[in-house]
Amino acid sequence: MSDRYFISDSDLRGLAADLLGAGTDVIAPVATDICQSPSAIAASACTLDHSLVDIDYRALTDADELDLSRGLPQLSLKGYFLPEHEALCRWKQKGITVEVEEVPTEFAPRVVLAAKACDAAALEVVDKVMNWDYKDELWNGRREATTIVNLTCPMIDDSCFCTAVGTAPDDVKGADGLLTPVAGGYVYEPATDKGRALAEANKARFSNDVEADTRGREADDERAASRQRVAANLEIDAESVRDWIDTHFEDPLLSQLAIRCNGCGACTSVCPTCHCFDIVDEQEGVGRGTRRRCWDTCQAPTFTLHASGHNPRDDQHVRYRQRINHKFAIYPLKFGEVLCTGCGRCTRVCHAGQDLVEILQAIDIAARRPGDSAEPEEAAS
Amino acid sequence: MTDMATAPAYTGVDDLRRIARELLEAGDVRVIIGYENARRGARPVFISDPAETDKLIFDTRCVHNLVTYLNPRRDHVAELGKIALVVKGCDVKAVAGLLRESQVGRDDVVLIGVRCGGVLEENELPAALALTPENVAPRCYGCDNREPTLTDHLVGEPQPEPPRPVMTIDERVAALDGQPMEERWAFWTEQFSKCVRCYACRQVCPLCICEQCIVEKTRPQWIESSAHPRGNLSWNITRAIHLAGRCVDCGECERFCPVGIPLSLLNRKLQHIVHERYDYTVSDDPENAAPIGDYRLDDQQEFIK
Amino acid sequence: MTDAHTDFEPRITAFVCNWCTYTGADLAGTSRLHMASNVRLIRLPCTGRIDPLFIVKSFERGADGVIVSGCHPADCHYTSGNYHARRRFAVFHDIMEFIGVDPRRMTFSWVSASEGAKWKDVVDEAVRNVRELGPFEAYRALAPEAVEPWPAATSDPAGEEVAS
Repeated sequence: MSDRYFISDSDLRGLAADLLGAGTDVIAPVATDICQSPSAIAASACTLDHSLVDIDYRALTDADELDLSRGLPQLSLKGYFLPEHEALCRWKQKGITVEVEEVPTEFAPRVVLAAKACDAAALEVVDKVMNWDYKDELWNGRREATTIVNLTCPMIDDSCFCTAVGTAPDDVKGADGLLTPVAGGYVYEPATDKGRALAEANKARFSNDVEADTRGREADDERAASRQRVAANLEIDAESVRDWIDTHFEDPLLSQLAIRCNGCGACTSVCPTCHCFDIVDEQEGVGRGTRRRCWDTCQAPTFTLHASGHNPRDDQHVRYRQRINHKFAIYPLKFGEVLCTGCGRCTRVCHAGQDLVEILQAIDIAARRPGDSAEPEEAAS
Repeated sequence: MTDMATAPAYTGVDDLRRIARELLEAGDVRVIIGYENARRGARPVFISDPAETDKLIFDTRCVHNLVTYLNPRRDHVAELGKIALVVKGCDVKAVAGLLRESQVGRDDVVLIGVRCGGVLEENELPAALALTPENVAPRCYGCDNREPTLTDHLVGEPQPEPPRPVMTIDERVAALDGQPMEERWAFWTEQFSKCVRCYACRQVCPLCICEQCIVEKTRPQWIESSAHPRGNLSWNITRAIHLAGRCVDCGECERFCPVGIPLSLLNRKLQHIVHERYDYTVSDDPENAAPIGDYRLDDQQEFIK
Repeated sequence: MTDAHTDFEPRITAFVCNWCTYTGADLAGTSRLHMASNVRLIRLPCTGRIDPLFIVKSFERGADGVIVSGCHPADCHYTSGNYHARRRFAVFHDIMEFIGVDPRRMTFSWVSASEGAKWKDVVDEAVRNVRELGPFEAYRALAPEAVEPWPAATSDPAGEEVAS
């Protein structure tokens, strides 16, 4: 990559401060108390007496909030492009007519700093369905307004598996640039015009001091090391997994793998690629209301409930099978992308013990052993 | 940091495995639902093969309330056949709740009780830890069912009482009660604004058994489905009211919540309410009728003009 | 009580049982008793029919206060409906207080068919309490967009904002 910059630790924080000062929203990892409330009562009333720090993507109010010392934010970037709930339009009756107020589809420019590669890649994966038969102006508007700068993952855990599904911790898919930690700061590599524009507009923070043999090599080594760290967790042949799922719809393996699922939907809410939503009309007063869309989950019992009362997916193992099917077979066949970027949040958040690394491993083994169905126990590492 | 000493399994695991194997071999049950060791710690396991009963474990990581798998909504579990369920003293109270409400027959399930000394709050660990005031699940303190009676088998030695956590749930509820109303409102609306309406709390609760949940009723839409704070408040209040006198305080709703809403505070408050007003305590005796749905002629009515 | 609230007219929804309170309220009317006019009644067969969700919904939709009223214990037309309601609302009242809703916004009463005067007192006290507390903006503010209150009684039905 020919244009590489160096930005020191303090200059990165300074960049955030400059952007905030110019009125640009900056979204970045921020440490949060698990109860997320500043009030004293919450600190004492929280069930976790020691303040368990977690990481979330937040709109910074101050550059000092930026926290790059911890791991994966608990929720993905999805909520900044497809909010948990958003108004689509408002209506008001006037006499015998109805006034409809559309919501804006243009958004103020904003920057995401230190995004995880899996979260940014997920956005590009979901771009496909958001621009399929209907161009989703709200999603697209937010995508266009946002410059995303990834940070090569300095730490991962054993539930990460981005390299097994076609991305990597130093990928720039869906993003505009990449920061890689080196001594004293980061090497910045823009990947798009937006990424280059960020460096150009903030020349005071970026220097060109990236010698290929020293800093450049350090960045390259770090990027390779990050990939190796993740690859150790899981390797699958995503295409044969896709084909196996596509041709083994009734295979008992998929039911067995789903057995302990409660259908709570936590996996879909933390997943960066899950994008299903419901649209509801909510009356706000006499003759007025708001049409909203809000996150939905294929794991909910009523997700496929027909008006007739029939529900083609009326049991949990069928719904769970559908999730695997959609992510690893249907979406790849339709859009050429796996609907999963290996962030591992679903596994971490599942308190019933569903483990996607284990599940993919089991299917991968089954796929490479034609005529046999792998036992999940053999797959567990 | 806190004492990270590991702990052995609770006693009785050998008996547990033996009983499970015998039940399967004799054909008395078709599946054992218990705990196993997995990549990320202890988790529920479904065993149909007597040879696999050695997978069963029981230690301080075995937090899950397995009674949720008896929920009549779960067809694919019911299809497996008659179940033998591993239950702790807290879990088995939920079975009593299901019996009270005729959701399950006593003969439909074999209950294998395990004597428990408490579980960890953070349980997704490769090895069990010894319990300390810092790591014990706060709800274990003051456990009133150390010798569960609603069981067909009971294994393990009596264990020491769980340690007192740094702050008990009752203390936290009392702290909230002692705050001015505006601060309580600020606290709860802030907590409920985190809710993403995944309904994990409902799905995992062993006593949330309605065929159609009120929140899914669309004609009319009583509870707004959007995840804005107004809709979330309605959902969480409704859920609390529907659980009053029925909730067994197993803590699963809070554990499953992906955004960390402290539901155990609400659950414990519900228990205080029914205890103070109706002298009712949830137990594992199915004959002990739930307070809501029941009444006395002299019930408290100080709040009624 | 602050000056800001003297211009404020509370909006109160009352859920009342048909056999006792509704009749009692009617008696208050035929007796020409003067009382606050801020209350809109919703008639139900019995307090046992009243779901706490009705109260929650009222606050969502713009009510500043709510009244729930029915037959005295032992006088329920359906024998035990009010006993069930008594327990249900005791729990609801305590939970709402725990959540931080001022209990003075919710008034519960037993008013019989002959107690027109008591109904007047219940209504006046409820309105007084809610007037002191002010509009229940905090509840409505939970919505992402501001909620318009009920249209004023003087709006022109033929012209602008119209209820269908």
